Amino acid sequence: MDAVKCDDVWMIYRSLFSKKVALKGVNLRIPKGEIFGLLGPNGAGKTTLVSIMATLLRQTRGKVEVLGMDSVRDAKEIRKRINIASGNPNLIWSLTVYENLRYYAMLYGIRDRRIVEDLIRDFELEEFRKVEFNKLSTGNKQKLILARAFINDPELVFLDEPTKGLDPPIARRLREKIVAMQRDRGTTVVLTTHYMSEAEMLCKKIAFINHGEIVAEGTKEDLKKMLKMRDKITIEIDAEIPEQKFQSFEGVFMVEKDGNSYTFYVDSVEKRLWDIAKEVANHGRIKNVVVREIDLEDVFNELAK
Amino acid sequence: MSLRSEVYKTLGFTYRNFIITKRNFFTIFETLFWPVIGLISVGLMGVYLELNEERFAFILIGAVTLSVLQVSQLDVAYVLLFDIWSKSVRYTFATPISAWNMILGAWFFGIFRGLIAFSILFIAGEALFRVNILIPIPWLLLFLLGVFLSAMIIGVITCSLLLIFGYRAEIFAWTLSAIFMLICGIYYPVSMLPEPMRAFSYAIPLTHFLEFYRSFYGFETSFENPLLIGYLISLLALVVLVALYLWAFERARRRGTITQFSE
Ligand SMILES: Nc1ncnc2c1ncn2[C@@H]1O[C@H](COP(=O)(O)OP(=O)(O)OP(=O)(O)O)[C@@H](O)[C@H]1O
Ligand SMILES: [Mg+2]
Repeated sequence: MDAVKCDDVWMIYRSLFSKKVALKGVNLRIPKGEIFGLLGPNGAGKTTLVSIMATLLRQTRGKVEVLGMDSVRDAKEIRKRINIASGNPNLIWSLTVYENLRYYAMLYGIRDRRIVEDLIRDFELEEFRKVEFNKLSTGNKQKLILARAFINDPELVFLDEPTKGLDPPIARRLREKIVAMQRDRGTTVVLTTHYMSEAEMLCKKIAFINHGEIVAEGTKEDLKKMLKMRDKITIEIDAEIPEQKFQSFEGVFMVEKDGNSYTFYVDSVEKRLWDIAKEVANHGRIKNVVVREIDLEDVFNELAK
Repeated sequence: MSLRSEVYKTLGFTYRNFIITKRNFFTIFETLFWPVIGLISVGLMGVYLELNEERFAFILIGAVTLSVLQVSQLDVAYVLLFDIWSKSVRYTFATPISAWNMILGAWFFGIFRGLIAFSILFIAGEALFRVNILIPIPWLLLFLLGVFLSAMIIGVITCSLLLIFGYRAEIFAWTLSAIFMLICGIYYPVSMLPEPMRAFSYAIPLTHFLEFYRSFYGFETSFENPLLIGYLISLLALVVLVALYLWAFERARRRGTITQFSE
């Protein structure tokens, strides 16, 4: 069974004077027991979709099933078994780490204080247990937000840009935590992010959303395959070359210029490198050639167009 | 739905209000300073006007009730405001709580603060002005419960308005409660009010609770059984208002207000 099923989900934000279509018929299946990535540019509709799945927002049209239950009718039952964390680290300011967790434990009807203690330990917050939320560093705030998301031992957790604005070592630490929690508890994780490396590292499957529509979906490999371009060749040269000329080359999808460095997106290095290098060499002296497989970032750039 | 977990969810809000109150220095002003200042100024006015003992009790009861109501009302109104100010609305609403867990939990703490305020004002009235506003304890408790129900009503209205109109509604809510207090006869009998306003004042439960309290000092009540009427109106109002609150919550879910409050 899927953890989440979205069928033709529309979200139209209405206010007195305006109307904003944020989701345009989203169809999506999120498998159980994995980390699923939801990627897309700013304003694509990620938070909107996540909020609908987490029962915080009600779709204008369409059906959402979470853990086999209807997101509108069974909202309360769903809430017992899911949780959320957002990259905007906001909890009640004047409550300490311990008090915040204790408070949320109570809202889930949990008596056992050991659950709070375990989370404080698992997220390395012992030192800060008596520190008020607004006095924590951003990294520790985010740790607490993540710890909170596991307080009811949820089957499904939504993490909306959980590493936003964190420095790389702390972001890495949190990613490890997410992986560990997922592995140990078998939780299904739905993760939105702007960091391609994060998605590449954590997610088994990924969906791209743009302008409120899912534009691509699959494993990382599927997505790269879906775009016919597979490799990129970066050539540094001591002269200008006419980029347009290469657009008509067979198997070349795109040419990017960065100073004297030109990147050619191609279907296959083996087939195209020779022709491209030969032509480039007509214009100047080649100083360096780098060949790379494309990564998710390239996929993202292509899909976000 | 186990009763024990419902109790726990409700007490979660009591716990939170307690901690926030404990940590906020200005709570002392809300619970002690302003009420005592209010009592002293009304008391001095009473001395200056050379009121007889009954009339003195009349206005002191008004001053005390007003303070108790304001103090305990804040707790219910704040239950949502705390989350709005902290931008943590989504985390509270992502949990499997019901509207009534939230309201009741906060209200319990409101009662606690209200009782403290009442005790202090009672002692201050006795000590400073030699006016005793003690009535038989069971009746006093029934009166206070009535005041606390009114506090809940104002709190629920505030929370609903916040969900419907956003955090700016706070001002609107305070205005509304000020108008209620104006016409429910805090410092004068409602029989003084012109006809249309008097009809309004009878619709406010606090009017009847005040009349009940003052009947112990020989003042006439507008109806036979003010306590019963006060309770009936309160319960009716609460049923309607909780329905309004639930509706406002559903509406907020459709419009994205909850996520907006969290960004
Ligand atoms: N409560 C709201 N009322 C009106 N419009 C909204 C509301 N919330 C979001 N929107 C709009 O809906 C669209 C999708 O927003 P959403 O926050 O879901 O995007 P996102 O993919 O999460 O973006 P980001 O990467 O910036 O977080 C945006 O155009 C946004 O302005
Ligand atoms: Mg977002």
